Amino acid sequence: MEAKPSTANLVDKIVVPGDVVLDLSSMTNQTIKLGGGLRQECDSVSVIKAGKLRFSKPNKYWVESSQKRYVPCVEDTVLGIVVDCKADNFFVDIRGPTIAFLPVLAFEGGTRRNIPKFEIGSLLYVRVVKANPGMNPELSCTDASGKAAEFGLLKDGYMFETSTGLSRMLLSSPTCPVLEELGKQLSFEIAVGLNGRVWVNAESPSTVVLVSNAIMNSESLSAVQQKIMVDKLLQRIK
Amino acid sequence: MEVDRADGRNPNQLRPLACSCSILHRAHGSASWSQGFRFIQTSHFYHFNLFVFTSKCYFCYWVGSGDTKVLAAVYGPKAGTKKNENPEKASIEVIWKPRTGQIGKPEKEYEIILKRTLQSICILTINPNTTTSVIIQVVHDDGALLPCAINAACAALVDAGIPMKHLAVAICCCSAESGYCILDPTKLEEQKMKGFAYLVFPNSILSVLPEGSSLVQGEPMEHGIITSVTHGAMSVDDYFHCLERGRAASAKLSDFLRRSLQSKLPGDLSKAE
Repeated sequence: MEAKPSTANLVDKIVVPGDVVLDLSSMTNQTIKLGGGLRQECDSVSVIKAGKLRFSKPNKYWVESSQKRYVPCVEDTVLGIVVDCKADNFFVDIRGPTIAFLPVLAFEGGTRRNIPKFEIGSLLYVRVVKANPGMNPELSCTDASGKAAEFGLLKDGYMFETSTGLSRMLLSSPTCPVLEELGKQLSFEIAVGLNGRVWVNAESPSTVVLVSNAIMNSESLSAVQQKIMVDKLLQRIK
Repeated sequence: MEVDRADGRNPNQLRPLACSCSILHRAHGSASWSQGFRFIQTSHFYHFNLFVFTSKCYFCYWVGSGDTKVLAAVYGPKAGTKKNENPEKASIEVIWKPRTGQIGKPEKEYEIILKRTLQSICILTINPNTTTSVIIQVVHDDGALLPCAINAACAALVDAGIPMKHLAVAICCCSAESGYCILDPTKLEEQKMKGFAYLVFPNSILSVLPEGSSLVQGEPMEHGIITSVTHGAMSVDDYFHCLERGRAASAKLSDFLRRSLQSKLPGDLSKAE
């Protein structure tokens, strides 16, 4: 069944809390998936966060918005900072409402005998495995099959904080213009967490500074503007 | 009924509104909301006879009508503090900062009214055991302060991405001896009138539902009242008169709120196309 024309009108439009975007009574025998920012109320779906309503074929709806605050969600990859080490858990700050727990055994081949040692303040690339309301979120340093898969400690480099919208833009595919332009001329390592933390590492400190500045500047720029901005920055170091 | 207002507005006319979001760097969400302009550039004036030109200055003063301006900052959701912790619901705390001096009884009252209003529009069950702080800084007060603060707080909550059922728009209505009522009074008018009411309505929403299906007992949702605070003596008829005027004005206010929230969001947030 095709969506009603009035529904199509709200897709890709900016919606504010309270707007009713879907009428479920006219969409029976259809499965839809609701993402962030939407809520079902009886026979209608309404918006709870301001942003752009997005629709992806075949059946996904969500509201895209950008915040300074991160709310943990299962399967998100985030950058966390170790704030405390206890016998069973590392306490990790992931910019969420509460501290997250990283069990000491949640590493590839983790046993009681080889517990990794992290100093307080070290930066980790981790995955959120549990995010239930009323509980502290739980993290893991392995992928779903138990492999280390790039997760773990990030040594050296520079970490800065951005909005969740910018970090999502950096992770989008195809690669966002700012990273693509930078990658053509410079070599650097980057780790982006969905919680708005970005870690950059490169051979020389000047590259790190340049890449971080370019990313921080790209927040509100269009694709073409991002390219121009990166070109200007690159010319300056030549 | 013709009413003379000091600033030449007609009774149903609001002062010019201004709203800007994300203005504070550290806060998770912030907004400023102002009603009226203290200074208006000479190139923009429309009530020529009401302006007094200040010498050597390209600004002029709008006599009698000041501005009410409020800054709202939202921090959260953050881990619940001992005081307001609730394992089942998110709690909202409101801190009112007056322009000068300590907070007194009226400010405490404002805090409680604002807190209850925000509690009713936010969905508190999504982030249980967290606290969201709303800090209201009064920048300038010239009447209708609480409605202005409610509007600012609402815009700041949206900016912070706090889950909400719907938005709220607040308006102040004054009723005078002779039975007429005026909207969005200045401080001077507020003092002259025999009574005034702060009314908070839900915003008008965009809906894909067929016409009329969202009616609650035969009335559209936005006609409901979230908060109503009255001061002074007011007859029942006067109150309903205020309510009717307030409802009419709330539609304009909610249009304005929607427009200012839309302009805050960058259009190129998604690179999908």
